[in-house]
Amino acid sequence: MTGQEGLAVFTILIFAGATAYFIARMLPILRVLRKARATDRLDNWPSRLGFMLGQVFGHKRLLQKRLSGILHFFIFSGFVILFIDIVASIGQVFVPGLKLDAALAFIVDLWVALVLVGIILAVYQRAIIRPERYHGSDEKDGYVILGMIGVIMVGIMLHESFYPFAAHYWYHLQVRLDPWEFLGYTLGHLWLQTGMASTPVIAEAGYITGYVLDIGMVFAFLAYLPTSKHLHIFLAVPSIFLHKTRPAGELVPPLTEDAGMAIRTFQDMNWKDVLDVFTCTECGRCQAVCPAHAAGQPLSPKMVILELRDALRQELAGAEPRALAGDVVSAEELWACTTCGACQEACPVFIEHVPKIAGLRAALLEDGEIDKNSQKVLVAWDRQGNSFGQPLRRRPNWTKGLDVAIKDARKEPVDWLWFVGDFASYDPRLQELSRLVARLLQRAGLDFGILYEGESNAGNEALRLGEYGLFESLAQKNLKWLNEAQYRQIFTTDPHSLNALRNEYRKLGFDKPVKHYTQVFVDLIDQGRLSPAPLGVRVTYHDPCYLGRWNRIFDAPRQLLEKMGVELVEMPRHGPNSFCCGAGGGRIWMEEDGIKERPADNRIKEAASLEDVGYFVVACPKDMSMFSAAVQSTGNDGRMKVVDVAELLAQAVGLTVPDAELAIK
Amino acid sequence: MRIAVLLKSVPDLIEDIPIDEESGEILYDEMSYIPSEWDDQALEEALLIKEESGAEVTAITVDTGESDTMLFTALAKGADHGVKLVGDFDPSLPNRQRAHIFSQYLGPQSFDLVLSGVQAIDDIDGQIPGLVAGILGWPHASVVTEVRAHDNRVIFRQEYAGGLVAEIKVSTPAVIGVQAARKPPRYASIAKVRQIAKSSQLEEVEMSIQEVPSLEILRFYKPIASGHAEMIDGDVDEAVDRIIEILQEHNLMRG
Ligand code: SF4
Ligand code: SF4
Repeated sequence: MTGQEGLAVFTILIFAGATAYFIARMLPILRVLRKARATDRLDNWPSRLGFMLGQVFGHKRLLQKRLSGILHFFIFSGFVILFIDIVASIGQVFVPGLKLDAALAFIVDLWVALVLVGIILAVYQRAIIRPERYHGSDEKDGYVILGMIGVIMVGIMLHESFYPFAAHYWYHLQVRLDPWEFLGYTLGHLWLQTGMASTPVIAEAGYITGYVLDIGMVFAFLAYLPTSKHLHIFLAVPSIFLHKTRPAGELVPPLTEDAGMAIRTFQDMNWKDVLDVFTCTECGRCQAVCPAHAAGQPLSPKMVILELRDALRQELAGAEPRALAGDVVSAEELWACTTCGACQEACPVFIEHVPKIAGLRAALLEDGEIDKNSQKVLVAWDRQGNSFGQPLRRRPNWTKGLDVAIKDARKEPVDWLWFVGDFASYDPRLQELSRLVARLLQRAGLDFGILYEGESNAGNEALRLGEYGLFESLAQKNLKWLNEAQYRQIFTTDPHSLNALRNEYRKLGFDKPVKHYTQVFVDLIDQGRLSPAPLGVRVTYHDPCYLGRWNRIFDAPRQLLEKMGVELVEMPRHGPNSFCCGAGGGRIWMEEDGIKERPADNRIKEAASLEDVGYFVVACPKDMSMFSAAVQSTGNDGRMKVVDVAELLAQAVGLTVPDAELAIK
Repeated sequence: MRIAVLLKSVPDLIEDIPIDEESGEILYDEMSYIPSEWDDQALEEALLIKEESGAEVTAITVDTGESDTMLFTALAKGADHGVKLVGDFDPSLPNRQRAHIFSQYLGPQSFDLVLSGVQAIDDIDGQIPGLVAGILGWPHASVVTEVRAHDNRVIFRQEYAGGLVAEIKVSTPAVIGVQAARKPPRYASIAKVRQIAKSSQLEEVEMSIQEVPSLEILRFYKPIASGHAEMIDGDVDEAVDRIIEILQEHNLMRG
């Protein structure tokens, strides 16, 4: 057998071996995917495709972290270029004399250099910068992968630079050093100068070593992938294609009769959920933005995904399945989540953490395991329809004290139906605010009504606590009147109710348009029905998770502020990157055990670092409670005041603000 | 070990108690009812015993209206059977009669242990566990915590004023009034209760009413407040001054 034949046989064997091994290791994963629940992720494929291309080639999300995004782009594009090299290198073995044209050869070399720069940056990031988001990731795996890629690059340079000298003995060809292959060209001259090129043994050895390091390592890499975070090389792109296109705010898709919300085993997940755990790149971007993690709680969205993945791998390796809820992912982790969605917003491969967390919560709840305060709230919702455990008949009590009574939408047709929500109805401080909103609407002459005792909690949080049955029964109570009353559209003061009405009630057949009061106010001003005078204050605005991230309403509150002549100074984390107040997902009722810094305190400190900003503007009743407390506990009272947009608007249109404390200036 | 847990529902005090203006009688039909919280504790303790050392738990109630959900909830939490004692009963049924109905049912059955809430908010003529134990002539303890049962040995605790705790052993069958379970009562999700309601059967047993010595309630009324709380207004300094003043008025300041 000639050397060339030997190399060809080696290539075929390692190719066959690595591919077979790779497939054998991927098959079990495929089987789990097939046993998982259905979810339609192939609808509307052209728009999915467009979205995917933007994310993959534009690196849109990845570039939100500059250094990581750039270095990833170098390495990622290197993989595309690598294919050209593989074809050329292997081609040379089978078709002696095969040669890349100058441009391609140049590109390969250029990218080898870029990838090497990428690797150096990556090592610098991992070893020197050490971002917290990597905490808990498999660091070894990270280095192994970087090492392998590095070896491949070295291999490419070696065999490319020795090829012209070895080709003579090996393939009986005359090849010259090609300046377009600038790396091989430079190194080749080095070999010439040192005399290595003219020693046949060294030239051949250099070429073969380079070839084995390059091609051999490529296949070793392939074999290694299925148990590495680098499986995302194959899964990330399909995962992005398969991203969720149903409304972002819909936590649970319509359930079938026999499939509940609870996730106990991997069969209870849908196949995209299973795919997610293998796609995770361990980048920790989700961990870096998680308010529960920042608060020092045991939750990290990354670790939830990795714990699930490792448990599934163990199962595939033959271990007894462990309970996913409470064992694989601990109850403390699960209950710490505020369902703020920041993790999903940050994940470059569009992993959906929140539905998994909620499904696992549902399993805990079915076993009766829930924080005791939240349990009281669930019981109160069930019995009285509100989280305060107050009688249903007192729900409309806040309307007492209004000069003009609000229409009862159950009894007469109205243009707008106002869904008030628990906090705005029962919390004494917020009742004042609700009256103010009513007076503003009355001033604008809006034809609106409420459901009085016919309104119950919308069920958004019940669902996020994992209590699908309660969500459904609350929704049915509301739907009784929502379907019977006559109105054109709905608005809410509470983003959580807005989310439920807009996204979760659809599966129960409800499809009326639902708006937020900030949107209504903007319209009223545009129609000239409210004419705010410029307030001339500097404020910052907090995007509520359930208004912004989950329902993409970012502009209306900002427009409203602008129309009131308010100067808005954005916090570093705003819009889709807003930082949760810590109240969502039922957290507002839970014990604060183990919290080092409350998310709301963290947020107020962020706002307090802005220059000359005296007002922290909110557009969610829960935010009012959370942040007012945070301003005090961080010692910022006197410096910063939490106000609702409606309070500013009332001031701007010259309504007397009843509580003197609320008056600004 | 076979454990019976006696359950009853009581008026939901979150709502006002409706009283007939003229007769001064409670309008039982107009109230909403919820499971008595002490019975919830008793059920939880029974379920904990079941988990700890194995037991068969039967939840039993006298049907005075909506009792199905209460029993299905008990099943959803982990009870093995639900028994509804039916007859011509309404929510005003006095405890004495209720106790007779429970006892009539329990007597011929072979339960080892009967647990129930130590009290309920509407115990007008005595507490269920004591009455039942008396009628059946079984041993009884009240205000009990931490019931443990191992092969017919039932051991429990009672706490006394002054920080003393007794560990007590009782022979079976016995009736115990539970003050608090070792853990807060577990939650039964609505979906699970619904699913149980679909898939399982409650046992219905016809019972008759027995004449018992009874009390006569003359009237219910709202007490007239004998004093008022004073709301202290003003800023912190003013409030502090006023508090000091009040303490001095009542000779509660030292030094
Ligand atoms: S939803 Fe928010 S709190 Fe929950 S894991 Fe994601 S980032 Fe953390
Ligand atoms: S879930 Fe997404 S954001 Fe979080 S570590 Fe994995 S890939 Fe990164």
